[in-house]
Amino acid sequence: MTTTTTGAGSPAEATRAGEARGTAVTRRLLTRSEASRRASAARLKLWVGAICALVVIVPILLAQVLPLPDANAQDLGDRLAPPLSAGHLFGTDQLGRDLLSRVLHGGQVSLAIGVLAVIVSGAIGVVLGSIAGYYGRWADTLISRLLEAQMSLPLLMMLLLVVALFGPSIPVITFVIAIAQWPEVARLTRSLVLVEREKPYVSSARTLGLGRMTILIRHVVPNVIKQATLVVLLLLAQAVLLESALSFLGAGPQRPFATWGRIISDGQDYVTTAWWMVTLPGLFIVLLVVGVNLLGDALRDRPRRTTTSRLRGLLGLRDKAAKGATS
Amino acid sequence: MTVATYVLKRLGQGLLTVFLTVSTVFVLIRLAPGDPAVAYAGPLATNEQLAAVRTEFGLDAPLPQQYLLFLQQLFTGNLGQSYSFQSSALQVVLERLPYTLTLSFSAILLAALVSIPLGVWMARRTDTRSETGVNVVAIAGQSMPDFWTGILLLSAFAVVIPVFPASGFATWGGLVLPTVTIAILQVALISRLVRREMAANFAAPYLTVARSRGVSERALTWRYAMGNSAIPVFTALGTRFAAMLNGVVVVEVVFAWPGVGSLIVRALETRDYPLIQATVLVTSLLAVGVQLLIDLAYPLLDPRVRLGKASAA
Repeated sequence: MTTTTTGAGSPAEATRAGEARGTAVTRRLLTRSEASRRASAARLKLWVGAICALVVIVPILLAQVLPLPDANAQDLGDRLAPPLSAGHLFGTDQLGRDLLSRVLHGGQVSLAIGVLAVIVSGAIGVVLGSIAGYYGRWADTLISRLLEAQMSLPLLMMLLLVVALFGPSIPVITFVIAIAQWPEVARLTRSLVLVEREKPYVSSARTLGLGRMTILIRHVVPNVIKQATLVVLLLLAQAVLLESALSFLGAGPQRPFATWGRIISDGQDYVTTAWWMVTLPGLFIVLLVVGVNLLGDALRDRPRRTTTSRLRGLLGLRDKAAKGATS
Repeated sequence: MTVATYVLKRLGQGLLTVFLTVSTVFVLIRLAPGDPAVAYAGPLATNEQLAAVRTEFGLDAPLPQQYLLFLQQLFTGNLGQSYSFQSSALQVVLERLPYTLTLSFSAILLAALVSIPLGVWMARRTDTRSETGVNVVAIAGQSMPDFWTGILLLSAFAVVIPVFPASGFATWGGLVLPTVTIAILQVALISRLVRREMAANFAAPYLTVARSRGVSERALTWRYAMGNSAIPVFTALGTRFAAMLNGVVVVEVVFAWPGVGSLIVRALETRDYPLIQATVLVTSLLAVGVQLLIDLAYPLLDPRVRLGKASAA
């Protein structure tokens, strides 16, 4: 029997093999089971993700403390110096500005925009999604139509348009990215609330005479918020990419520091003579986004430590709740 | 509800979305700072010249009146003259459209050809070491900004080793690098979706039953599991394709591809109102149309789906 293809039957099989030999399930059989393989894959992702993300985030947070030249200080005598040259770990750009300092200071702006955008979109998404899920009827119709309409809009085009409208300042770009991202949180929250509101505790609360608003805020939302926020890390990765695309197209913040997309776009003309100007800032983006994506993935896949899921894992059944939340 | 009424209803909804989109854009671009007259006449133009340009473009009329004129144009299919191209805005967009369609289509084709077999392979050996490795690589592919991969591919295969042309669409070779750039991201996304769907089907009881009846592994994979994963996978491919029709802006800019994406960037820079409106109209019509086609294809993929039934799909 080809158990390697699915792995689903292996725990049950382990039990059978154990019975045949007159022993209980051995430790070796358990480590080969699907649940533990999933857990170890998730653990690997968690570690690799954390390391990738921290390698980028820690230097960015320390940019002010590290002994770096001013990010905007030009030195025309020291133009296009290659990486590892005196005083410039990442080399310099066409105006003699220190590339590492530019990347780190720009990274502060990118990261701040990403985190703020995710907080704003998460808040909008949870509020509207839970209203749509709990109240249903016209509220649901309205919010769901709004979601669908936004999903069929030419997204990047609209973002460019709005940035052109209000100017490429940090609040505008943050807001624009948040608006682009709230549908994902809202859809997820709505589907979670739809399941939650049918549970007995909700009708008990209603019998006790609690208002609908109170039940939603005090009882339903706290039960779904944890799952809804798991998607946030994946959104942060998207937000960083979106911001870099905007600034590559010239619709990114200029002050106080140019962000990664802008630095890459500046380096585009020098890509054959000064490879570092494009490659190194890009690697920073990739490391950060990979790290955040892996973390988000691992947290989502990590088997939950509840009695039922442990039981299900042992029986080789898939955790229906976790699967429904991710799809 | 019959299929015909279903299609009509969906068409109506789609057209409403398109109408709301173009109306929003109409208002937004007129609220924007930046005067098309200045962009057109140049910074040295006198006030009289600017006024003349505004009259010529109809920009001195009150906003409601401009909107009525715009609606009239919308229903007659004539969106006015592009300021910078000096010809019908719709015409300019339609001339660029085949380039974007070619690029999007070849990218989605490449993505499907790579990601479906890859996803199936991953689903058959979930959470083994090699699969986790491939999964991490896929996440990396999904994490690379497309303009960055584009520039790197460009400098590697057009400058350092000049195999492909660097920009534009003079020969078919020019299609390769932008296609690959777009496909990298799509392969990463779609192969992971295929993996998820197929893995769920591989774990389903019906598959164990079929296997115990002696159905071959090949049939189990492609006929049983793939048959049941077809709808989500197809939906993802279709939605990605629809998104590409207006989302390949960045890649078009990097490769100087003469498509709709690079057109919109230019139109926004020059505040070419008719051109912006025409581009948004055409791309959102296409996106809505593709979405409808995807829904209409569901019964072909899964005979259980009946269009117009509430429980469909």
